[in-house]
Amino acid sequence: MTGMEGLRDFWQRYRRNKGAIVGLAVLVLVLATALLGPTLFPGNPWDMAGAPFQKPFDPEFPLGTDTLGRDILMGIVHGARVSLLIGFVATFAAVSLGVILGSVAGYYGGLVDDLLMRFTEFFQTIPSFVFAIVLVAIFTPSIASIVAAIAIVSWPPVARLVRGEFLTLRTREFVQASVVLGRSSRHIIFVEILPNAVSPIIVAGSLMVATAILIESSLSFLGLGDPNMMSWGFMIGSARTVLRTAWWMSFFPGLAILLTVLALNLVGEGLNDALNPRLTREGR
Amino acid sequence: MPTKRFLTPLALSAMLLLLPGAPADAQQPQRGGTLSSIISPEPPTLMIGISQTTPTAIVAGKIYESLLRYSTDLKPMPGLAKSWEISADGRTYTFRLHENVKWHDGQPFTAEDVVFTATKYLIEVHPRSRPIMQRAESVTAPDRNTVVFQLKEPFAPFIMAWEPSTAPIVPKHIYDGTNYRNNPANQTPIGTGPFKLQEWVRGSHIHLVRNDEYWQPGKPYLDAIYYRVLPDAGARVVAMETGQTHLSAFADIETFEVPRLKALPHLELTTKGYEYLAQMVWLDFNLRNPPMNDRRFRQAVYYAMDRDFIRDRIWFGLGKIATGPIHSSIPHYDANVPKYPLDLKKSEQLLDEMGLKRGADGVRVRVTLDALPYGDIYKRLAEYTKQALARVGIEVTIRTSDVAGWGDRVRNWDYEMTHQVLSQLGHPALGVSRLYITSNIRKGVLFSNVNGYTNPRIDELFGKAAVAVEPAEIQAMYSEIQRILVEDVPVAWLLELEFPTFINKQFRNVITSGIGVRDNFADVHMVRQ
Amino acid sequence: MQRLQFIAQRVVKGIVVLLGIIILNFLLIRMAPGDPASVMAGEAGAADEVFMSQLRKEFGLDRPLHEQLAVYVKNVVTLDLGYSYRQQRPVADLLLERVPATLLLTGTAFLLSLVVGVLLGILAASRVGQWSDSLVTVIALFFYATPIFWVGLMGILLFSVTLGWLPSFGMYTVGGKLTGAAFALDVLHHLILPAITLALFHMAVYARMTRASMLEMRDQDFVRTAHAKGLREGRIVRIHVLRNAILPVITMAGVKAGYLIGGSIVVETVFAWPGIGRLAFETVMQRDYNLLLGVFILTSFMVIAVNLITDIIYSFVDPRIELGQ
Repeated sequence: MTGMEGLRDFWQRYRRNKGAIVGLAVLVLVLATALLGPTLFPGNPWDMAGAPFQKPFDPEFPLGTDTLGRDILMGIVHGARVSLLIGFVATFAAVSLGVILGSVAGYYGGLVDDLLMRFTEFFQTIPSFVFAIVLVAIFTPSIASIVAAIAIVSWPPVARLVRGEFLTLRTREFVQASVVLGRSSRHIIFVEILPNAVSPIIVAGSLMVATAILIESSLSFLGLGDPNMMSWGFMIGSARTVLRTAWWMSFFPGLAILLTVLALNLVGEGLNDALNPRLTREGR
Repeated sequence: MPTKRFLTPLALSAMLLLLPGAPADAQQPQRGGTLSSIISPEPPTLMIGISQTTPTAIVAGKIYESLLRYSTDLKPMPGLAKSWEISADGRTYTFRLHENVKWHDGQPFTAEDVVFTATKYLIEVHPRSRPIMQRAESVTAPDRNTVVFQLKEPFAPFIMAWEPSTAPIVPKHIYDGTNYRNNPANQTPIGTGPFKLQEWVRGSHIHLVRNDEYWQPGKPYLDAIYYRVLPDAGARVVAMETGQTHLSAFADIETFEVPRLKALPHLELTTKGYEYLAQMVWLDFNLRNPPMNDRRFRQAVYYAMDRDFIRDRIWFGLGKIATGPIHSSIPHYDANVPKYPLDLKKSEQLLDEMGLKRGADGVRVRVTLDALPYGDIYKRLAEYTKQALARVGIEVTIRTSDVAGWGDRVRNWDYEMTHQVLSQLGHPALGVSRLYITSNIRKGVLFSNVNGYTNPRIDELFGKAAVAVEPAEIQAMYSEIQRILVEDVPVAWLLELEFPTFINKQFRNVITSGIGVRDNFADVHMVRQ
Repeated sequence: MQRLQFIAQRVVKGIVVLLGIIILNFLLIRMAPGDPASVMAGEAGAADEVFMSQLRKEFGLDRPLHEQLAVYVKNVVTLDLGYSYRQQRPVADLLLERVPATLLLTGTAFLLSLVVGVLLGILAASRVGQWSDSLVTVIALFFYATPIFWVGLMGILLFSVTLGWLPSFGMYTVGGKLTGAAFALDVLHHLILPAITLALFHMAVYARMTRASMLEMRDQDFVRTAHAKGLREGRIVRIHVLRNAILPVITMAGVKAGYLIGGSIVVETVFAWPGIGRLAFETVMQRDYNLLLGVFILTSFMVIAVNLITDIIYSFVDPRIELGQ
């Protein structure tokens, strides 16, 4: 790996993956909805604006209304912000934790590595979704407890990944040179090695956002969502019992999750292709 | 419905079945058939004495019996007792028991079992029955089939305390001298009821079979009952639609599915059978904290709640708008009380008067609302409450938790507002007074007077009404209680709950009393088609 | 011999991890508001001090926490998982009742996803750029991105409600009094929807991994050499590419065992499947501490066992790789 090359090169490689372009377009759309949506569609998504159980493709409520007469479109627009927020913040927390533990373990090796890896193993052994449920249930469902729970069950793979990178990178000459020059460990970890390990972390992170959104929706489905936040998972969770009479209530938010997660996955693959040219696949 | 007190149970149940739309069953009921019912959630145990949950009461109500049952207008009907007398001074209750009743293990049932249950068992294990049984000065069995309760003072509601979940009669020969909670017999319940436990496959189903030795000759008609554990609401609807199950009750079927299921030709809907429980849902204010301690705030909240919306949109038309603390199916209900129709102007005016002005963001005050952990419908209620109060400038933050978390907050008074739902158990003295009297403000106890309401006049009236004997006098006191409480709004009563019971039309006589699906099903029979 | 030593080492490690899980979760669950007594009170619609204190005393919850922990760990070491507070029965019995259902569901889903996923991956990799490759890729992406409960709900909508082909809940026809082959068929009939629902997501994972891994291997030197030597394509794929490409998939499959159990909570809820996953969810809500810890012990044990088995299989597939690395 030769490190980051020019942005143009990066874009050239990214562009070769057609799926990644589509994914990026969808993701930009979702991000725009999250950022601008509440301005373009002002109002409160919780307002019981119309009659309940209104079918979609109606001029007033294009995506229909839910069991209490809330506008599904409003919910999806406002929910984009919550779902993405949970996805990104949880991922950021998980990646941070994973990077710190993984780099320390990989850099120092020996006993520290052994201890940290046992610790990681420990978290990988507990079935993660069960653990997430317990955490959210214990700390009462709120956006903070959901983010924390997702982060706590998601960091181990990152830690392992970073550790692996560090194990190979620390034997490289440029690292050895820094050691000889008497640089501090912190400097070597964060300035010398980490930037070289950043590509796989970014790829893993982009996929983790997708997983985080899926976990949040599953928690909400089981009734462990934040009751004050209109998220897509909440919309499906509260509509799942009416699935048979009112498909649209869970269909549209489900579609929103599907598209967003799909986009994140495609972007992740594109990033992978662009950042790890070694692995570029053919036939795209 | 003018029901005479000494009708035989069969005649009475036949009468009650003449609901509009239900075809009258001319033939003699035939033996045979298997009823498959939904049960959700799965009961923790079938030993009805140590668990008062509804699922336990439903299943174990076929296995255990009590001295009485209650009609849909809450008149006592014979159970294990064939007749009963109350002395003129209201202190002596004499029950005459059916003869030739046997426990499921073949041992004879006698008055000694009743004495044991009332004086030892229930007082030890049953939180709801304990205070009632403690009112007895002595319980004696002058002969094998007679039990006499001598009360310390008159207590008219005593006659309402004898349905299976409130006072299940348990076998003395199995429980006397043992640890009631740990007794291994709790796994293999022994009752006197028309059905016996055959098998319980956890997570899947409970299989009850006919008790061939049942004391009512020829009954029960059914060979077996299966209770299917179906945790998913969607699966429950499918099961009723496809005929895989024949009976649903309480909240098994979500309210919005009711209109659709009602239209199906093979299903019959009734909302009868919940009169004894008489559940009511209300918005509870913790009166220790401002602004809830100000009556004007509570009235403002009450005026801001559109209870027609709650009934029509959240409960889909099921239920009755509550007028005050006593459920309309419960004795001594009085509709003549102040009313709180939806009136946003009045609501805002009251809040203005209190000095709670709207801030720049339009918010006057912020409060937290703990949602009830009993299912989706209460989440919807919390969401509605949040929106309704936002209209008058009260910003509500909803907090959800599970039963344990919610219960801990509420019983330790660590909440601002919450919804509550509770049964009134056949009589105001059994199910209503506990929520408003000062002596029942007990930290750490759920379903006590948790919001801390205290009013000497209310204490006095509830105290006197419980021990009074003269009916007109009693009614006057309960009427005054209702007027005072409704003016004071210690809580905002929202809705008297009605539950949809769906019955597959192959089955008859399913709901024959005010205890509904929790009754023993001795009279249920199947019609061949 | 070396293999046995390795296994013994892993077992010891597994036990240490398990012990850590027990202690962590024991302490964690006690931090939750409310206890089993308050749940029972909350459900009963009636409670008083006597009732609560009776329950706490009986459950041993009135004793200091460290004492409770010590007693619990001591019992677990002697393979006694304690008593469920709520159901008044030994935890081990309750778990054993549920294990077969979960093993059947997750086992079927695991095999199904692995076999179909790997096959689809090979198919896609051997036809890179063709429509069948694109189709597999799109399908895999689709199921990878769809919430699992959503797939289940849609499956019910289509196959149970609309078409009426498959039962929508339960594990077998209750009261059907079926035996032998008829019973097995009945269970199979009930198994189809939940197993496929659970399998689809993981199938997508394996298909994507196999494809990527195969393509990567194809460019490796030893494969090029094989080509240069003039070996036939089919043989190359079988002997060289597939064998090496499958390794990361197996590792992933081992890691995913825990996820399969997590997913089974949702699937078991949607399909009313009487397994461990649903039990886990219910016990959290009911604060049935002993039963919940029992679920954790059992599921963690399953994950450790699966990981160990994966490692052993790994050593057979690729003998060059030393155990314990």
